[in-house]
Amino acid sequence: MSLVRLVWAFIRRRPGNFLFHVLTLSLGASVVLGLVLLERAVETRFSRDLAGVDLVIGAKGSPMQVILSALLEVDTPTGNIPLSAAEHFAQHPLVKFAVPVSLGDNVRGVRIVGTRPAYGELYGAHLAQGAWWTRPMEAVLGADAARRLGLRPGDSFIGEHGLTAGGERHAKTPYHVVGVLAATASVIDELVLTDISSVWEVHSHKNDPDEPENPGPPQVTALLVKYRSAMGAIILPPEVRAMPDLQPAVPAVEVARLVVMLGVGARALEWIGIVLLLLSAGGFLVALISAVSERRQELALLRAMGAHPGLLLRLVTLEGVVLGLAGGVLGVVLSRILLWGIATAGRESGMRLAPPPLGTLELLAVGLAMALGLLAALPPALRARFMDPGRELA
Amino acid sequence: MSFTSAKVRDCAARDVRGSRLVSGAGPVLEVSELVVGYGGRAVVRLPALNLSAAEGLLLTGPSGSGKTSLLLAISGMMQPMAGLIGILGVDPATLKPAERDRFRGLNIGFVFQNLNLIAGLTALENVLIGAFAAGVPQDRERATALLAEMGLAAFAGRRAEALSRGQAQRVALARAMLLGPKLILADEPTASLDDQNCEVVGALLARAMSETGAALLVATHDRRLRERFARSVSVEGMS
Repeated sequence: MSLVRLVWAFIRRRPGNFLFHVLTLSLGASVVLGLVLLERAVETRFSRDLAGVDLVIGAKGSPMQVILSALLEVDTPTGNIPLSAAEHFAQHPLVKFAVPVSLGDNVRGVRIVGTRPAYGELYGAHLAQGAWWTRPMEAVLGADAARRLGLRPGDSFIGEHGLTAGGERHAKTPYHVVGVLAATASVIDELVLTDISSVWEVHSHKNDPDEPENPGPPQVTALLVKYRSAMGAIILPPEVRAMPDLQPAVPAVEVARLVVMLGVGARALEWIGIVLLLLSAGGFLVALISAVSERRQELALLRAMGAHPGLLLRLVTLEGVVLGLAGGVLGVVLSRILLWGIATAGRESGMRLAPPPLGTLELLAVGLAMALGLLAALPPALRARFMDPGRELA
Repeated sequence: MSFTSAKVRDCAARDVRGSRLVSGAGPVLEVSELVVGYGGRAVVRLPALNLSAAEGLLLTGPSGSGKTSLLLAISGMMQPMAGLIGILGVDPATLKPAERDRFRGLNIGFVFQNLNLIAGLTALENVLIGAFAAGVPQDRERATALLAEMGLAAFAGRRAEALSRGQAQRVALARAMLLGPKLILADEPTASLDDQNCEVVGALLARAMSETGAALLVATHDRRLRERFARSVSVEGMS
């Protein structure tokens, strides 16, 4: 016979009540924990996708849209910029690294990005199969894109106009897969990469006889820039802004704005989670008080048989801690399910999240749930400690 | 008559640390002018009572006459309005609550009318819980032997809620006897038992008294128990 055995007997006598209270507590814990984890996953994803890019030069328009389209690959571009302008800034003395991106086509919903192989360096990507392209109309697929499209080196595919599936097919200019990248858990996994001249070649062909020839100078969608020094942050954006039709967009600033905007919703949900948690703590308290009331005869019996009042205190608080432990563990499991659901839904809409591995946050959550259980158990435990056994057993 | 109000450790019972002390030669239980009541209203009075080791006494009276209240007061679970109680020379009323509980756990075996077995625990665990509550080593062999004496060897692992009333009564008796108490207080131990179970429980109580030398005070209105006890005291309520 031990305290644990006695608590287990109490729990086993009314398993339905125990499960209900565990579930209530775990729901609150899972919402709070799930949202914190989601926030971390989004931050991790942003940080990976931004890939240390200091500045994105795009067409005039919303800087946020420039970042979302050219860097995070979730929006339509604001337009194109002349290749000459992009090359001008790529050779700027304050620029350490620059790579152009050109958007406009997709294959079955997967974006085709015209760029240089250096784009892979941004994400630390390396080839899992094949090789990088060496000529136009050769393509290298990100790991998820290859899986989703079912393509491998040696295969061919036809691009479609636009960034979503269902656009006009560029049947005259098929792509040939020459390589597949290893997974990086960043945006590059979901892209089809090709040489920037492929994009020009595809769009130089008239699919419609009435379509005018493409007479203009070559263009790109944006230029991704890393500064050589902090001076770049001061000098370059105004220079870009001074150029006609160019728009500087600073990823750190735009993503911070985005996080703030998303954060309003996330914070509202966090508050809902906290209210849920407090409600479950209240329910927990009522449940433990009622549990102590239900078994006051047994507690009085223990006193009658010589139990020190402290033993009753430990008995009731242990029950609260066990409830907290069970609620916390279930909360961790539910939060992972919640996160998995959000990540799956996000993947469908092009926003891949990388849920962080189990760690100290989960341990902390379980510890907090146990502390909550302990706290909720204290009033009924004190009530049990000071009970009058004679009155209960009379 | 007067009793010492000394701390338990100075008396002839087990002290609060559980060490068995040499029993004094005097009576196990002495009661004088005991008045018990609720909310300032006296409900029962017991002028005098003496009980020696291995001696049994029936406390009889109709339902509601205050027999249970007297047992609770004698065991220290209820504060009497007046009078003196001595158990092995100690007046439980003079002890602090926690000391009183421990004194009771170590020296008094109580068989409750409602049995109060803990559901979810087995018969054996319900016997051992007496030692667990009193904070002394749990002697599983003795508990098993007690259950065997009660004819419940085959039911040791059965959960309390699965026992019949007669079986539960015997488990409650085994629990009361586990720590070898000097005084056993039994409250209506045969209530709602059929004749056969009443006979078994009566015999077990008598054996507990004769074999362990415990003094036995049984509160009952069950006439079937009268022939087993040479002495009885009738209680009448004061209201």
